[in-house]
Amino acid sequence: MTTTKTAGTRPGAPAPGPDAPLATPPARTRPRSRTGGAAALLLTPFFVLFVLVMVVPIGYAVWLSLFSEKQSGLGFGGTETVFSGLGNYTAALGDPAFREGFVVLLGYCALYIPLMIGGALALALLLDSALARARRFFQLALFLPHAVPGIIAALIWVYLYTPQLSPVVEAMEAGGIGFDFFSPSGALPSVVNIALWEWLGYNMVIFYAALQAVDRSVLEAATVDGAGAWRTAFSIKVPLIRASVVMVALFTVIGSLQLFTEPLILNKGTGSAVTSTWTPNMYAYTAAFERNDYGLAAAASVLLALTAALLSFVVTKLSGGRKQKKAEKGATA
Amino acid sequence: MSRSWSSWKRTPFVAVGAVTALAVLTACGGGGGDATAAPGADGKPVDLTFWGWAKGTKEVVDAFNASHQNIKVKFEEIPSGNAGGYAKISNAVKAGNAPDLVSIEYPMLPEFVSQGSVQDIGALLGDDVKKKFLPQAVELTTLGGKNWAVPFDAAPQAFYYRKDLFTKYGVEVPKTWDEFRAAAQKVKKADAKARIGTFFPDDPTTFQAMAWQAGAQWFKAEGDTWKVNTTDPATTKVSAYWQKLLDDDLVRNNASFSPEWTNSLKSGGTIGYVGAAWGAGVLKGTLPEQSGKWAVAPMPTWDGKAASGMLGGSTFAVPKNSKKAAAAVEFAKWMTTTEAGIKARIASGTSSAFPAAAELRPVAKKAFDAAYYGGQDIYQVFEDAGTSINPNWAWGPSTGTTNSVIKDQFGKVTNGGTTIADAVKAGHDATVAELKKRGLKVEG
Repeated sequence: MTTTKTAGTRPGAPAPGPDAPLATPPARTRPRSRTGGAAALLLTPFFVLFVLVMVVPIGYAVWLSLFSEKQSGLGFGGTETVFSGLGNYTAALGDPAFREGFVVLLGYCALYIPLMIGGALALALLLDSALARARRFFQLALFLPHAVPGIIAALIWVYLYTPQLSPVVEAMEAGGIGFDFFSPSGALPSVVNIALWEWLGYNMVIFYAALQAVDRSVLEAATVDGAGAWRTAFSIKVPLIRASVVMVALFTVIGSLQLFTEPLILNKGTGSAVTSTWTPNMYAYTAAFERNDYGLAAAASVLLALTAALLSFVVTKLSGGRKQKKAEKGATA
Repeated sequence: MSRSWSSWKRTPFVAVGAVTALAVLTACGGGGGDATAAPGADGKPVDLTFWGWAKGTKEVVDAFNASHQNIKVKFEEIPSGNAGGYAKISNAVKAGNAPDLVSIEYPMLPEFVSQGSVQDIGALLGDDVKKKFLPQAVELTTLGGKNWAVPFDAAPQAFYYRKDLFTKYGVEVPKTWDEFRAAAQKVKKADAKARIGTFFPDDPTTFQAMAWQAGAQWFKAEGDTWKVNTTDPATTKVSAYWQKLLDDDLVRNNASFSPEWTNSLKSGGTIGYVGAAWGAGVLKGTLPEQSGKWAVAPMPTWDGKAASGMLGGSTFAVPKNSKKAAAAVEFAKWMTTTEAGIKARIASGTSSAFPAAAELRPVAKKAFDAAYYGGQDIYQVFEDAGTSINPNWAWGPSTGTTNSVIKDQFGKVTNGGTTIADAVKAGHDATVAELKKRGLKVEG
């Protein structure tokens, strides 16, 4: 509190004062080649890794997606790899299973994102206004599920979903609620539930950290002006942590597109309605490892990556645009 | 998890294998170092790596290593085929670090052959060895006129049931599918929580075996054209029959070998199992506490005459990169056609494999402790079923696609998401599309 008041700027920002102009000239007059050399040296590891683990694999996937394996006769003479242009792309787009994967994702996002953002925000606001001791406990308790690896979480939940095995299902049945978590209509909520359990605490911590950084004097001013707890939460706190909300939304959208582990566990060995091509990621996996069609798998992956890139662009553009407008408004006011 | 674990474990052996391969190659570099040379003839043992998951395999490998100096086998257990084992094998072949011998079930063998993942081992197998096997098993491993695998077991279907509960509920062992339905109703009437059997949505091969038994022929090769027909009258009859059983809640709908299924067997909620010969060992291993309560009967049939399909069954094939095919085939022959090989597996107590080699069935029968089945001569049941295996069935070259699509659709059969018939039709369409994509001629 005191630091924010005295400095008036973010920590780390150059201290304003008469010394500042004096400090900068030597840096400016420093020979350009030396800075360039240092920059190159420091950036090399990044670019080497970037090329090795990003550019090369993506390039290889694109390359793979242009070929397909052809056979002749009855197909027992082995395969021949031939260039097929965009053939794998049309095959993937023409496959209803692939398209249905995107419909599932859409449904997943529609259900998951509001629940996630709303839930995490609500919990963070509650935590922000709670007693200090309870705060510690709940922060840890809510974050704990995130420490469980996704695959383990999915296995635990599969156990809890399985009729005749799960105490939860048994209790629900005893209470007159018959819900089949593996049925065609139950599969989506089942997966959303696992994801919520895993990520709610994590996102809550991000929101909570942002709330902690809100200037307390603003909140005090609000209280003095007569704003109640609700009013403070929705008119002061939430607008002030907008940037965090947008960031979490972006990560959640991209994370949703990559949905894989949880439905895969639900697919294997449960006989549930979660198919092996339930999400586009699973479609690519199945194409590669069950159908031995690497070209199709690569094409499906590239299409998914393009969708993710497009979506991230849209989300950042939208949020960035709004922020700018707001800033302009602020300037004119 | 197990996949990554065993691939970590694998790395050193691949390296060791490569070094030995190099040593062997240089050793016989001068004269005829081809794959058909007698293994270990130069006095140095050949090291083989073998991937499989069938029950009792470890015991078989131990027995082989104990009795052989020229070949040393390193067994690495992988997840069963459909649980990721096949993916592991095909990836290893693509990466060039596959082992020298792998387990592949009959339905998947054509897929591996069509991917060019395994070697033609006809010359190493020899005609006299081929004659030892059940003709249907040889037929299923011969594709395009070449032998691609050594058949190990035939897997005639069988119906397992809780003898004590059948007696208690006054249910006769069904001989026909009509009787099976009546028996199912009786079981449910006697105990509202009990069911006679299970529809396995995760395992299309159980359904295919029933279609096979009914006389279906999904894949036919004519010239160089594949004729695909998964919706013939025989299959349609089987689909409708099981759909009705599910609709009337007369059978369970659980994944095979899932905790859910096992649990219902333990509690007496499921008192029958439509399976195959190898199932006897699996039941025994899964439910040791129910010893003496189970019995085996021939599969119910449509007209009361003996008939059977084949449900799974293992073969051994040599991946294309292996330089040690001769040694691998020798080991595979030992596992499948020698008394010691069969004995070692069955004596492990967990396997009830029905050898494809006819002369070894008495050996298997003797080695299997049938106390679990009240001393019943279960191998006689398998023997009768084995001779009645419908010889017309062939597997197509895209089982991976066919079965993953059918499995996906079967998963939606619960709660009326789809029907068995529609699921099978979806499998048909996907198969035809896949074969066309590969550039093959298809009708269907």
